[in-house]
Amino acid sequence: MSRIGVFICHCGENIGATVDTAAVAAASADLPGVVHSVDYKYMCSDPGQNLIKDAIREKKLSGVVVAACSPRMHEPTFRRACQEVGLNPYLCEMANLREHCSWVHEQGEATTEKAADLVRVMVEKVKRNRPLYPINVPITKTALVLGGGIAGIQAALDIAGAGHRVILVEREASIGGHMAQLSETFPTLDCSQCILTPRMVEVAQHPNITLYTYSELERVEGFIGNFRAVIRKKARSVDESACTGCGACIQKCPTKKIPSEFNADLGPRTAIYVPFPQAVPNKPVIDRDHCTYYRTGKCKVCEKFCPANAIRFDQEDLLVEVEVGAIVVTTGYQVAGAAEFGEYGYGEYPDVITGLQFERLASASGPTQGVIRRPSDGKVPETVVFIACAGSRDAARGRDYCSKICCMYTAKHAMLYRHKVHEGNAYVFYMDIRAGGKMYEEFVRRAIEQDRVRYVRGRVSRIFERDGKLVVKGTDTLLAGRPVEIQADLVVLATAMIPQPDAETFAQKLKISYDEDRFLSEAHPKLRPVEMNTAGIYVAGACQAPKDIPETVAQASGAAAKVSGLFSKDELSREPVVAVVNRCAPPDFSTCVGCFLCESACPYQAIEHEEIRARDGSAIKTVAKVNQGVCQGCGTCVALCRSKSIDLQGFTNEQVFSEIVIL
Amino acid sequence: MDTLQTFASAKLAAGEVKIVIGYQAGSDATRARPAFVSDTAEAASLIYDDRCRQNLAVYLLKPEVRAAGRAAVVCGPATLRTLLQYAAENRIAADAVVAIAVDADGTVTELADLEAVETHVARQPRGLTPEQQAEIDRIDALPLGERWQWWSRELGRCFKCYACRAACPLCYCSRCITDVNQPQWIPVAADPLGNLEWNVVRAMHLAGRCVDCGSCAEACPQGIRIDLLNRVLAREAVVDFGVAAGVSRRKDYALASFKPDDKEEFIR
Repeated sequence: MSRIGVFICHCGENIGATVDTAAVAAASADLPGVVHSVDYKYMCSDPGQNLIKDAIREKKLSGVVVAACSPRMHEPTFRRACQEVGLNPYLCEMANLREHCSWVHEQGEATTEKAADLVRVMVEKVKRNRPLYPINVPITKTALVLGGGIAGIQAALDIAGAGHRVILVEREASIGGHMAQLSETFPTLDCSQCILTPRMVEVAQHPNITLYTYSELERVEGFIGNFRAVIRKKARSVDESACTGCGACIQKCPTKKIPSEFNADLGPRTAIYVPFPQAVPNKPVIDRDHCTYYRTGKCKVCEKFCPANAIRFDQEDLLVEVEVGAIVVTTGYQVAGAAEFGEYGYGEYPDVITGLQFERLASASGPTQGVIRRPSDGKVPETVVFIACAGSRDAARGRDYCSKICCMYTAKHAMLYRHKVHEGNAYVFYMDIRAGGKMYEEFVRRAIEQDRVRYVRGRVSRIFERDGKLVVKGTDTLLAGRPVEIQADLVVLATAMIPQPDAETFAQKLKISYDEDRFLSEAHPKLRPVEMNTAGIYVAGACQAPKDIPETVAQASGAAAKVSGLFSKDELSREPVVAVVNRCAPPDFSTCVGCFLCESACPYQAIEHEEIRARDGSAIKTVAKVNQGVCQGCGTCVALCRSKSIDLQGFTNEQVFSEIVIL
Repeated sequence: MDTLQTFASAKLAAGEVKIVIGYQAGSDATRARPAFVSDTAEAASLIYDDRCRQNLAVYLLKPEVRAAGRAAVVCGPATLRTLLQYAAENRIAADAVVAIAVDADGTVTELADLEAVETHVARQPRGLTPEQQAEIDRIDALPLGERWQWWSRELGRCFKCYACRAACPLCYCSRCITDVNQPQWIPVAADPLGNLEWNVVRAMHLAGRCVDCGSCAEACPQGIRIDLLNRVLAREAVVDFGVAAGVSRRKDYALASFKPDDKEEFIR
């Protein structure tokens, strides 16, 4: 016979002001099987927990129902309290009187009645609860970091520094990401490559880091502590172990006019190339779409001139399977494309460029060696107009969010231009200036006050060409909407930060969630900012939301700390909420008939085959068996099983059914 | 007919199969009954004509038949599909059964393994009879409320004799959900709601698995057209998920397979 204790929490005013808790306690006391029922102001407080512990001891309770907040908040608290006095923690359940009742209803009789019902339902469940015990699963102490930009580099270095192995996968030919393309960084104006490249080299040299560049994640299966991932190492057409990185192939390659991705299309590259001089690894790849040999079957000039005989035209993609315990997603961002900015003439006028292109113009490693020259005729522009919020905060383009970094980099661009071209005029069209951050506001003020960048608050309506100048038409909303017209030589659009084009399929591959803008969704916006809802997968950088370098690095270190925390134990203790296939007396042994349709339904590949054998070793039948380490307790197999031979521990059919029937 | 008999007799004589499951004349001129022939002399009693509508694959899973050894089954098109579905659901091994396929024109073909069955099934036309189609169209055309009433009334006539379950080759669970009493999913008493529940649950259990043999309706002593429910669900599985049961040995169950290109647009 059940001896259940019911503990009703007021949660201060949260529940107490809406629900008549004393009445709920009184009603619960009369339920069959309930031997103890009290209400109290804060059950989660020490005295509150003691009420539960004392009752378990004195009344020899066989089950506990705490009617309070969501089990997501305090279930661990109350289960631990039960465990401390010897009651199996899984005999304690919570009825959610706060989120499911008091917060969503007005004060009144019906609300109190509903609260009493919620308790009654949970009492019915607890009567059927069985003691459960945590499941221990081993952890593979290797992290997989997906994306070799600054976020991935930082996360990889931190995890490797903590003594764990890291596999870093980068889709491009070199790590470095967008940060490698930047000129100087705000608010200190230190050279981006100068601070980044030492980190890149450290990655290459770190004994704990295995680097896969020009590689992509093919698929991943498994679960926290025990993922199996397959990495596609795309064919470089170059034997990395033989190549010395001398660069002879690049000098001799006859296909020289391919727009360089690294230079944001402002300069050319060859078909066999390294993206930039400080690339890690400094081994070229052949771009098979543009290479003359792959297109026509003739050329092979690089092979002829390679002193190391490292060219491999017949190289094929290689699939590498790795086992990892945690995954850090640092896949980064892109900038919004040309097609969006017809009114600004982007794509039509060569001198309307994106912020990323300006970075390359201002960079010493860029196509103009750091001299600001406009793309059309190479002239140093006398007047430059910067347009902030190009594509961001723009509901008409379906993009409500702020790209966050543009205010700062636009100030930086204007400043850099004024430093390089002393006589030049710099105008910035802006909506608001968002300069929250250490030394950020001071930086923008410096651009305005010391470097005399002219800020115009208003939007640009149109840009067109007249007499070799770009005419920028806009309004100054601070001067009562006075029309402004500026004759510019160069226009720089602070284009929006957008997710990678394949963000959606990538998220589906990893079974992680993403938001309506296709940025990845963290588990909790405040309290779990670097974790994904899928256990064992972490996130850092602009793939989660637009952010700048300091924030990205901080988040990457945060994710690395989470991974290191996970790896600090040899085994992972898991909730025993997993599916089990029943066993019964011979001759059936299990009601499972072994149709294995559950096998294809299971999203975690947790269903295995088990042969039941007689004592003489002869096979009697084959039935399904759930691998408890792999099972995530989603219950899909339970719903699918026609003969109800699978049940979810802690949420058995019997328990859930009785909860419904009691209503 | 001779071919079927001589074929069965030869297979038994050669020891290739231990038992031939076929049809023989029933208790009156309108009926056929299943025959389990293990002796060459008995093979002469085998028949195949319009009376032979029962899906014999159902017997392959019976312990007595399994114990007898390798079996040959006389198969109409639906029985062949059943064999493939059995393979997909892990019921029979690839070489455990010899199918004796009898086509509409009476041609007898030996299909020694499931690969041959698959090829043979792919060549067979598949579809509803005009009568079945007309009845489905009639029910489909009813407004939602009326359709529900019609089915409630129709299925309420069931008294849960479970003849459909016994006749259905895909109702092979050793413990049916109706026999589960903790919790009691389906009320045991023969009240209209419980009867309806039984039939709806059974139809859902067959969705994406039913091979359209029609044995359930044939077996129903109340003449309830439960086959129509199953046929419509089979159609939905094809339309919505592109999956038909009984066409392949591969497991491809509409309710259990997820494809990354399932975009799930409907929940946005």
